[in-house]
Amino acid sequence: MKRSRTTALLLMSAAPLLFTACQKEEQVQVQEGLYTSVQACTEATGDPSACRNAFAEAQQKAADAAPKYASKEACEQDYKPEQCVQQHTSAGTSFIGPMMMGFFMSQMLSNRGGLAPQAPASAPAYQDKNAGWARPAPGGTGGMNTASGIGAGKAGLAPVSSEPNRAVTASRSGFGSTSARRSGGSFGG
Amino acid sequence: MQRIRIAERAHWRARAVEAGFRFHTIDGQPYWDESAYYAFTLRQIEVDIEDPSAELHQMALDLVGDVIVSERLMDQLAIPSHYRDWIAESWRQRQPHLYGRLDLAYDGTGPAKLYELNYDTPTSLFEASFFQWQWLEDQRNAGRLPQHADQFNGMHEALVERFGELAARLPPPLYFSAVGSSDEDRGTVDYLRDCAAQAGLQGEAIAIEDIGLSEDGRFTALDDTVIGTLFKLYPLEDLMAEEFGRALPGSGIQLLEPAWKAVLSNKGILPLLWQRNVGHPNLLEAHFDDGSALASGWVRKPLFSREGANIEMHLADGSTQRSDGPYEGPAIIQRAHPLTRFEGGYPLIGSWVIGDHACGIGIREDDSAITRDSARFVPHAIVDEAPTRIYV
Repeated sequence: MKRSRTTALLLMSAAPLLFTACQKEEQVQVQEGLYTSVQACTEATGDPSACRNAFAEAQQKAADAAPKYASKEACEQDYKPEQCVQQHTSAGTSFIGPMMMGFFMSQMLSNRGGLAPQAPASAPAYQDKNAGWARPAPGGTGGMNTASGIGAGKAGLAPVSSEPNRAVTASRSGFGSTSARRSGGSFGG
Repeated sequence: MQRIRIAERAHWRARAVEAGFRFHTIDGQPYWDESAYYAFTLRQIEVDIEDPSAELHQMALDLVGDVIVSERLMDQLAIPSHYRDWIAESWRQRQPHLYGRLDLAYDGTGPAKLYELNYDTPTSLFEASFFQWQWLEDQRNAGRLPQHADQFNGMHEALVERFGELAARLPPPLYFSAVGSSDEDRGTVDYLRDCAAQAGLQGEAIAIEDIGLSEDGRFTALDDTVIGTLFKLYPLEDLMAEEFGRALPGSGIQLLEPAWKAVLSNKGILPLLWQRNVGHPNLLEAHFDDGSALASGWVRKPLFSREGANIEMHLADGSTQRSDGPYEGPAIIQRAHPLTRFEGGYPLIGSWVIGDHACGIGIREDDSAITRDSARFVPHAIVDEAPTRIYV
């Protein structure tokens, strides 16, 4: 077969597949942060017990979700040497991979801004040698604890930018002027 | 390869609305045209289109490394000197690319001939990848096409897979941009955002005019978030020429398509390809234009023209044709190889390469031998003989 077996649209179509009406009942806000320590988390959220739980849970998942390399050299292509250590998955498979350098914690906030009673979700965070943060990709190899993942490296991670990374904008509209001089429907080709 | 009339799906406009396909009619003129389709054999697709596309793609990539180390070649491609180191560095880092479209002249006989590469801002993606696919499924289900009918179109799956590969290689946050006032380009960008989301890679949308530049030289979204990676459906040579352009190299922003696509989205690549692969069956002879009168049997194309604008043809029979447009500057000449006329018009094959994988085609048909933005998109199918039963 020379064509896609299936196609789907999530965002574009008028009737999205993934979102159901019941999710609209209450406006829910999620507060998510990347923290490098329980203390930093506590300072940011004022919730030490949630931070401790999130940290412990992330640590438990860290080996299974970590990028897995067959050698220290391969790991050091992506991560700082001191981070690349021998680890074991929960199933006992041995591999070389980066240590967890932080954790994500996300908490549901009710529409009044208070904390909802659900337990916060957490995930381990890894920092590569370019200082980029990443977390296990949704539906990726996170949680995989077999030897088959060794060598896949960072493929199972999704980069994130959870650090405050903002800059004051001095000017806008410095792009797009060529299009204003052209007519027609498309600026591609 | 045949052009075959077929009944339109009664509900295709409703299908388009469902899928958010708003530009099926542009300025009152039909763009999506399913009153006919092009039928290919599997052999035509695989031998004449798929394999040559993969080979041409590789030949083009092989050229990039040579060009970025040569001031002479950068001069020939009219790449502004301010951007050369930035472009070269993007290649040395192998900043990843998403896609490209090869425009091929092909009528079912003889080797397909490369007209040009659209490797920076290829459009007609959504209609090729998604809406054309849906057309085939609907027509098979309706019994108007045989059950074994197929299509050269693994594009949707290839896009989702490619975004999955890109997820770890693009500095976050990722923004998708197009000209805010272009329905067509916004539709294409929405589709790409959708494919990225299906791969778990989330990106925001921003109009190209809304992008900001901070005092310290970084590009920002409307809420002052610093843009890590910018997908732009906007010509790189225009970005470089505009007010904010000079800030690109120092801003730390990564572009998709990457900066090194400046080498390939330039018609100067055509003479360079020819020089390195003289006589290749899928290439037309091409040279840099020296400004002399166009001899018969040749076509002149500006380095940066798009959508068939500013093309001058002087055919072997002495006739001439010229399309107007906003482009000027240096040009190339290419051996004339006019499109074959079918009932309905002159079809041009857009052969898509996603990542490095040639995986689908879309056909645009125009009333003249120069394919313009007035061309109509006509679907295709692979309709070989019914598969014969194999007895063991």
